[in-house]
Amino acid sequence: MKQTLGIFAYVATAIVCATAALSAQEAPGERLPVARMQLDNGMRVLVLPRPSSPTVAFVVEYAIGGVHERLGTTGLAHLLEHLLFKGTTTIGTRDVDAELRLFEVMDAAHDTLLSARGARSRDTTEINRLTRLIATLEDSARAHVEANEFDRILTRAGARGLNATTGSESTLYFVELPSNRTELWFVLEADRMQNPVFREFYTERNVVAEERRMRIDTSPGGLLYESHLAAAFQVHPYGVPVVGYMADLETLSRRDVDEYYRRFYGPNNATVAIVGDVDVDQVRAWVEKYLAPIPRGDEPPPVLAREPDQRGERRIELLWDAEPSVRIGWKVPAALDEDAPALSILTSLLTGGRTSRLHRRLVDEDRIATGVFSSLGPGWRFPQLLTIDATPRAPHTTAELEEAIYDEVGRLAREGPSADELERVRNQVAASSIRRLQSNLGLAFQLTQSENLLGDWRETFRFSARVRAVTSDDVRRVAATHLIDSNRTVASLVRSGATP
Amino acid sequence: MSRCVCTSIVASMLAIWTPGLDGQTVGRDAALSLEFEALKFDPPDPEIHEVLGVPVLFIEDHSVPLVSVFASFKGGYARLPRGEYAAGTALASLLRFGGTQTLAPDSVDKLLEYYSIQTLFGGGGESVVASLNTLTEHLPLALDLWAQLLKQPAFDDDQIDIWRGRAVEQIRRREDNVQGLAYSEFNRLMYGDHPVGWEMRMDDLSEEALNREQLLKVHSKILCRQQMTLGASGDVSWPDLEVQLRRALADWPHCEGELPPSPAPDIRREPGVFVIPRALEQSVIVMAHPTSVHMAEDPEYFAAQIGNSILGSGGFSSRLLARVRTEEGYAYSASSLWTMPRRYDGLVGAITQTRPESTVPAIRLMLETMTEMTEEPPSADEVRTGVDRLVNGFVFNFDTPGRIVSRRMYYLARELSPDWLERYLRGVQGVTPSAIHDVFRRNLRPEAMTILVVGDPERIGRESLASLGPVTIWEVEGGR
Repeated sequence: MKQTLGIFAYVATAIVCATAALSAQEAPGERLPVARMQLDNGMRVLVLPRPSSPTVAFVVEYAIGGVHERLGTTGLAHLLEHLLFKGTTTIGTRDVDAELRLFEVMDAAHDTLLSARGARSRDTTEINRLTRLIATLEDSARAHVEANEFDRILTRAGARGLNATTGSESTLYFVELPSNRTELWFVLEADRMQNPVFREFYTERNVVAEERRMRIDTSPGGLLYESHLAAAFQVHPYGVPVVGYMADLETLSRRDVDEYYRRFYGPNNATVAIVGDVDVDQVRAWVEKYLAPIPRGDEPPPVLAREPDQRGERRIELLWDAEPSVRIGWKVPAALDEDAPALSILTSLLTGGRTSRLHRRLVDEDRIATGVFSSLGPGWRFPQLLTIDATPRAPHTTAELEEAIYDEVGRLAREGPSADELERVRNQVAASSIRRLQSNLGLAFQLTQSENLLGDWRETFRFSARVRAVTSDDVRRVAATHLIDSNRTVASLVRSGATP
Repeated sequence: MSRCVCTSIVASMLAIWTPGLDGQTVGRDAALSLEFEALKFDPPDPEIHEVLGVPVLFIEDHSVPLVSVFASFKGGYARLPRGEYAAGTALASLLRFGGTQTLAPDSVDKLLEYYSIQTLFGGGGESVVASLNTLTEHLPLALDLWAQLLKQPAFDDDQIDIWRGRAVEQIRRREDNVQGLAYSEFNRLMYGDHPVGWEMRMDDLSEEALNREQLLKVHSKILCRQQMTLGASGDVSWPDLEVQLRRALADWPHCEGELPPSPAPDIRREPGVFVIPRALEQSVIVMAHPTSVHMAEDPEYFAAQIGNSILGSGGFSSRLLARVRTEEGYAYSASSLWTMPRRYDGLVGAITQTRPESTVPAIRLMLETMTEMTEEPPSADEVRTGVDRLVNGFVFNFDTPGRIVSRRMYYLARELSPDWLERYLRGVQGVTPSAIHDVFRRNLRPEAMTILVVGDPERIGRESLASLGPVTIWEVEGGR
């Protein structure tokens, strides 16, 4: 315990000194006592002991997400994430053989159903019959299912926050447990990494369709987000929604999921972080026992699609019976690019807090907006968007917001930020480097994402140091280079009298 | 062809299923046969001090160079007349954004952001809360500024206008968030003209109703010394903190009198089916009726807590999610709601969202699931899941000093015993299946539900809706 506290004290000292010689400092967090284990099967495991509270956070990150999908099977990564909570060959079942026999019949019926739906003359009676047959078969299979057993075992163990999330280029599974239950996580996760059974498939596909209806189809903001990305990325899969298009969700098959799982879920595509009250030697022994024997998987194919240079502003309007808002996105380089730190500072200068340029101009001074926000995304690996979202205050319009936003962006591109503005953002970056040390789960996310996407768990800590070294001229240059008219995609939510 | 493909899938699954590992190392038997050592933990207990008459809970913690300070004041808009609803609601935001008697709003923003001092100001019907998180080196400046914001707010006119504009816009945009619309209209339907049922109206936001004088009046009623509790945790010693707190509290005004309690609600008790017709791809469903289980050290309360987790608040371990989502695929989420206030009646019911065609089947399934809870005791296994979740996860209540302090402040504000959490844990461990059955039999009446649906009656099916009972169209206050 003393050793860990000592390390944190060192980090604190580094922060306090950070303003003296920004570029020369080792980034805070880099000296955290992280044990990195590279297994023969390709899996990387990061362990950070923090004995302040007897709890442990676990994160498994697979380098797989929406960018690995194709039109026709969008939503696969996300559906697979749902199905990996359905159990294994021993968890969640009373008779796995009986289940698998029924899968065979119902999947054949599903193939036939897809053929019937695609036939030139649709036979509605046959389509309805097959739909009912699949439901009946799934009910029959359910008789052999021990529903939600994976969740129940962890819940009884006192788990907190059991969940997963699928993004554009990574999928994360996470949970926190009391530290005396650490071995339970290994037993369950190693089982899930090798023996998943995609049971209750068609019902879960409906659940995902409901999730899409909730997040996108009944949400003006959700649909604006989806439409904006689709307009901005016409070649790169960042333009494809991670939740999937409804038409695809209605046709995804268990076969699609199985193939996808084999291609992307090998241990060689996984990074694990374990942060909390653990003994590194004990964890190393469990890693050897449970994770090291998992056979290496296929090498996932790389994403080769590249978005062509944008040749002119793109504009779309989304009609909805809702109040207006606007999203403005400029194409900017990926998170590993040398411009990334300056772009990060640029977003803070534009909308990071009440003293930021756009908040002051749009909300406080002109009073034409109720809120304005910016972000970089939707991923990290590939050229992405710097996006500004703004909501007009009636009777003002999105056109007025655009004019004011472009005016402020242009001013930054011409003049750069003041020394005071830069210092404010630097101080915030330094303080956030300390604050992020407070949460086991937050650190576990950071470690896996840094290792998985950037190749080294220290990289996001280093990024903070690079951000603090950004100069006014760097900000001016990236604004002038990237935030230009021809590189812009604008999506406006426009009120229509008609309902969707 | 399809059969061949499917056969190969099964074969490949079986191939995966035969792991390179010893089959008993992972999986159900391995998981259930693990034995765990008892968890060793001795969480810090907050020191309890008093500074100039104000109770202060404190835990010293030097793990990171940060300090958090919390303040809680008894009193919120529910204890004020309707004419002060907007001021009561705006109070917390304008404490933060409205400047102080010596600093303009812009200067406050600059100081907080320059030194990366994080503040949070919030509140509800019964309390106003504020917190501060700062690097240790900036604590004196941060605490002084934070105290000024709470004690000597300026309520700058421009900031009041900006808040008013935002509130007006929220009214205009209410229908853009159908879930939020459903919940707030359900509260209005059940509670009527009671603070729980109040929804902000344009007339609440007039310049006569919301201005600097009104805010100062509400401020003097709530943010006074006798209604305050303070907490702190982090990288500071008590003697150092005490000096700074004494300075902050030195001239804090005393309360002029005690606020009246919030009014007792007259909750709707008649069953009914209400529809807010909107052409949506997904219906929002809320249903509930009043109950009289109160938060107290009482076996009925503990049985209701575990019972509610079995019915629908326990996620995937609960019946509603298992039936509505896992079995039928009707919805992404489905859960029960059971509010158990300290003094007044609460609500028991359920919520979900589903496509129009599944709306009535989902409602029927939720009602059936509730009926089953009244007819048979839950299994011992279900009770064990609910209790184990709390007992084994008990440690998460103590994972940070800040969480320990703020939770103890919550107990103090609600006049609960300081060891309420330990008492709660003992209470739930004594819950039996028959106690849960009793509490549901006495308090849950599915036939008495008031059901509100926001959705498309044509696609839901008007006849289908009518099969639940006479349908009334519910008009949204200020709706489109």
